[in-house]
Amino acid sequence: MSYAYLFKYIIIGDTGVGKSCLLLQFTDKRFQPVHDLTIGVEFGARMITIDNKQIKLQIWDTAGQEAFRSITRSYYRGAAGALLVYDITRRETFNHLTQWLEDARQHSNSNMVIMLIGNKSDLDSRREVKREEGEAFAREHGLVFMETSAKTASNVEEAFINTAREIYEKIQEGVFDVHNEANGIKIGPQHSPGGAGLTNNQGAAGGQGGGCC
Amino acid sequence: MDYFRSVTQSVLGAPQPGQQPSGADTVERLIDRVQSSTLLEDRRDGCRALKSMSRKYRVLVGAHGMDTLTQVLEADRSDHEIVNYAIETLVHITSPETYQEELEDSEEPYEATHSSVVGEQFTEIFAKRQENIELLINLLDEFDFKVRYPTVKLLTNLLKNRPKDLQEVILVIPSGVSKLMDLLSDSREVIRNDVMSTILWLATFLGFQKDSEEPYEATHSSVVGEQFTEIFAKRQENIELLINLLDEFDFKVRYPTVKLLTNLLKNRPKDLQEVILVIPSGVSKLMDLLSDSREVIRNDALLLLTQLTKHNTNLQKIVAFESGYDLIFEIIKGEGLADGGVVVEDCLILMLNLLRNNPSNQTFFKEGSYVQRLASFFTLPLDDNEGWSAQKVTNIHYMLQLVRSLVAPQNAAAAVFSCQRLMDQCGLLQTLTALLMASGVPVDILTDTINTVSDMIRGNMTNQEFFASMMAPSTPPRPAIVVLLMSMVNDKQPFVLRCAVLYCFQCFLYRNHTGQAQIIQTLLPQTADVVSGGKQCPNSITAGQLLCSGLFSHDPVSNWFAAVALSHSLVDNPSQKVSANEHDELESVCQGLCAFLLGLCVQYNDGSGTSFSGEALRQLVTDRIGAETFTDKLSNISRAEAYTKAVKSPQLAVKQPSDLVFDHEFCRLFKSLEVTCVRAVTPQLDGGSSVDVSPVEVTKYKDIIRDQDSEITLLKQRLAGVQLEVADVVAGREQLTAQVQQLHDENTGEPNITKEETDHSNITTNTATNTDPATTTTTTTATATTATTEHLQQQLAEMTHARDYYYYEMYKKDAELTAIQQQQQQQQQQQQQQSSEVQQQSQQSQQQTTGGENQLNNHHNKQNAVDFFDSLSNPEMENLRKQLEGLQLVLHNKDSEIQQLKETAASQVPAHSEQNGTADKEAKVSEEQQDATQARLHQDNTTLRQQVKDYEIHVRQLQTQLETAAATVAATTAASVVVPGCGTTAEARCRQLEDELDTIRREQEDLLVLVTDQDSKVAEYRRKLRMYGEDVTEDEDDEDDDAEFVAENYDDDDDDLDSDIQ
Repeated sequence: MSYAYLFKYIIIGDTGVGKSCLLLQFTDKRFQPVHDLTIGVEFGARMITIDNKQIKLQIWDTAGQEAFRSITRSYYRGAAGALLVYDITRRETFNHLTQWLEDARQHSNSNMVIMLIGNKSDLDSRREVKREEGEAFAREHGLVFMETSAKTASNVEEAFINTAREIYEKIQEGVFDVHNEANGIKIGPQHSPGGAGLTNNQGAAGGQGGGCC
Repeated sequence: MDYFRSVTQSVLGAPQPGQQPSGADTVERLIDRVQSSTLLEDRRDGCRALKSMSRKYRVLVGAHGMDTLTQVLEADRSDHEIVNYAIETLVHITSPETYQEELEDSEEPYEATHSSVVGEQFTEIFAKRQENIELLINLLDEFDFKVRYPTVKLLTNLLKNRPKDLQEVILVIPSGVSKLMDLLSDSREVIRNDVMSTILWLATFLGFQKDSEEPYEATHSSVVGEQFTEIFAKRQENIELLINLLDEFDFKVRYPTVKLLTNLLKNRPKDLQEVILVIPSGVSKLMDLLSDSREVIRNDALLLLTQLTKHNTNLQKIVAFESGYDLIFEIIKGEGLADGGVVVEDCLILMLNLLRNNPSNQTFFKEGSYVQRLASFFTLPLDDNEGWSAQKVTNIHYMLQLVRSLVAPQNAAAAVFSCQRLMDQCGLLQTLTALLMASGVPVDILTDTINTVSDMIRGNMTNQEFFASMMAPSTPPRPAIVVLLMSMVNDKQPFVLRCAVLYCFQCFLYRNHTGQAQIIQTLLPQTADVVSGGKQCPNSITAGQLLCSGLFSHDPVSNWFAAVALSHSLVDNPSQKVSANEHDELESVCQGLCAFLLGLCVQYNDGSGTSFSGEALRQLVTDRIGAETFTDKLSNISRAEAYTKAVKSPQLAVKQPSDLVFDHEFCRLFKSLEVTCVRAVTPQLDGGSSVDVSPVEVTKYKDIIRDQDSEITLLKQRLAGVQLEVADVVAGREQLTAQVQQLHDENTGEPNITKEETDHSNITTNTATNTDPATTTTTTTATATTATTEHLQQQLAEMTHARDYYYYEMYKKDAELTAIQQQQQQQQQQQQQQSSEVQQQSQQSQQQTTGGENQLNNHHNKQNAVDFFDSLSNPEMENLRKQLEGLQLVLHNKDSEIQQLKETAASQVPAHSEQNGTADKEAKVSEEQQDATQARLHQDNTTLRQQVKDYEIHVRQLQTQLETAAATVAATTAASVVVPGCGTTAEARCRQLEDELDTIRREQEDLLVLVTDQDSKVAEYRRKLRMYGEDVTEDEDDEDDDAEFVAENYDDDDDDLDSDIQ
């Protein structure tokens, strides 16, 4: 329940590239071939461990449709990490990456870690974007790159965890100001001074005003 | 003041010593100068002097100089300096504040206190002329600070004093608002900031004036505010500008900006929300305000965010994303939780906004461990009685609302369940239950708490069990449920509280069979000392007792509560649900309930009581009440307002005892059973026609009907096509049949019509012979023609073969029958031998023999048929033939037996005649007996013959069927012969063949039935024969042991008979 850090993520990219499926695979470890269109933004969370530290990931899965673009922009600023997803079987989703990246860079804080994800790697027979192209794009724009499959769960864990590791390292380096929540990073209750901890199953009379923060 | 004096002196010239000029004089002279002087410098000086005097001699300057000043604004607009003085003067005059100078030597304190009234009065005068305001707005075009700045100030003053007047005027001035808006981009901060407050005042007063005593004015001003907001929000840049102004830390900027945005949001929430939503980081800038160290701004930001998130899921989500929960919790904690002031209330309202009806935010709340933080809200020092201020009550009320929003029955069941579990785990449930039992809690809070706890335990076994185990801190300690029920059946308790307890009880029993069972247990007197919690507690009151006492109390409300509570204990048993106490004015509802009850009786009658069977009741209803009336009464219920209310939410939504009619669970039950009831009582009625249905359902059904309609038309079209095809096929087939008939006639050649019964066998044989060549022809031709036809024909051949087999079966049975008949005949012969003395008898026997001979003949012919089938060398036939041979053997045996009997009879007869009197007597008796037997046999014989005739009719029918089959086969053959290898018609023929195949199959089935029929008949005959004492079973029979057993019995009887005879 308690965590050392909390990271806020956003998942962005064209509609239908598998953003919601990636999230579902990561949080629930299941794949849903037919997924409802995301309206606005949906939420998911999971706890991971990095460097023996519990890190809570708060993930905001955004709608890829153009109509929601203005709404989803509101989520850039408060995020520490972003998964920028395209579909390896649809060239146009790759072509739109520049636009997405511009948007993200413009509205987010400059330290936001962006991970480039080429999803649907299980559909290699229908591939339209070569792995090398993804790698090249990532190199050019200073992103981390990975090909994943939300269907087979290949690399899904890694994508989320590697992003978290990157953020974690930036914190260690002092790049991130962990006390400014606008960066999408929060220090867990156990790290804050005098945190009362969580009061599980305590008696009715036992609770005092403290709580946790 | 020195400066002021010097100016005055310089303007007016040196004063006479010892005599100060009165202020009024000076002002008058100055005004005159401004008005009449031709020199700009003079006018400018005059204005400057007026300006300096306008604070102290405010009323004077205003009263006399206003017109002059406006003239200056019009005439001397090009001179910015004089304009500046004029406007500044007007600013002073109209200021809502009181100036220090005013107070200094004011003799009458009265005036000072009413200086704001003065300002307002001057504003009124000034604004009366729309041109004045227009002038000011136009002055805003001047970029010069000296003009623009005071103009803004003046406008602000005017707006402050007479907002309604000014708002109206500004709104009708073309581009009035936009000119003001342009100033927001003025690079000079002072101006920008002041414009802010101008606009603020312009947009103000919707929220505040809504409470105005004069309703007309309030709505009027709100309309103006709204109009202004509409104009303002039309340009997205305006809002964006305001949002960006929030970057300014300066209080003078930030504070009015927040205010203005709040007002705009209040006036046109949707417009503003839409705009703010699409401004990148718009919400996050607003969220930053919550961290502003200046509490005024922070608190106003709370109100702003509350307005912003009202009914807008997307904005609610963004606020939550922007650490909304954390920030709000921080503020609540900082303000002292429930003891905090109105700020805590504002926080809670905002939080409620974020959570209510927003599953995504609820998940986030749950995942972010905020539920645990909720628990800290309620760990208050509960026992101190002083601490229940109105604000605290309100705060706790909202805190409880917050808890409820997470476990509301309207939410998704899974989400509610996980929240309930969390609330149990983090101790929130325990805390709230403790609050429930605490003393000195105000009724409102208690009611809220009960309702909240209800939702927390509803349908959750663990929480329900915990609740059941709760003991109230009373002496002696009683279970919480009992204490609560005590309040429910106590008419001294407030009504809302009693309602809450009922709801709590319902939630406790919701999907809780154990709980239900425990409550029911306590209803019984012998277990009365077992408390619902399962703890032994002698001599205490139980839940059941309380409910019973409530049921029989004089207080009708108690009756109702107790009845509903009981009904929830019995929720599995719907027929027990009776609303105990209906009020007279609700007679229609009552009738409806009666109808419902009757309907249930009909529907769920197991028919155990013969006088109350479902049918009888239905008859009674239709006869006495009439189906129409019944359904009408039934629908009275769903029409009742109380029903619609109750069906919405499981919690009671009534305000006074007289409103109590329905309970949610009952409504749900009613909804599900209403249609069934109607159907049960009026089976002939169209179920849905007279039942009230919700519009949603109506549209749903309409959709379904529309879909079905289109489907029907589609099917109809297809049907028409198929019918056309069929007609074609039939025509073709008829043609073919005719051809076949012709061929057939030619083929058969010889006429085979005879009158005798025996002839039909010949026909059969003929037909059978005809069938066979036809089949072979078919097969041979088919091999010659296309493959498809061949396949079909093969099938056909198979079918024919199978049919032949059945025919053979039939023949076999026939043969058996004949054999049996033969046996019968032989038996009769035997009888005849025995009673040779009677001529009549012998004649009859002769006749029978003739009949039998005929049958034998018949049998012979059939034997021919069998032989024919034998020639087909069917292995089964071989078997059957063996059976037949066996039968013949039996027959032979019987013959010899009969011979033996004859001999004995012959030897007996002489012995008979030798004996005297007694012997004669015996003989007579024997004769009588024989006569009787003979008569009976005769009768049996006739019935048998009749049956044989029937059977033969069957056979004839079969023959005709066979003929048809043969005809179709021939037709197939003909068809394949007539058009061999014709590709286009091949398919049609195939279809035709398939049809025929079907017909034959059906025929075959019919034959099968007939064979079975015959089988049973043969068995019947056999039985009869046995009765005559013939042993027919053993070798020819595949019948079961029972039959043999029966046969043995009959044998015994015969033995008896024999001995009797002897």
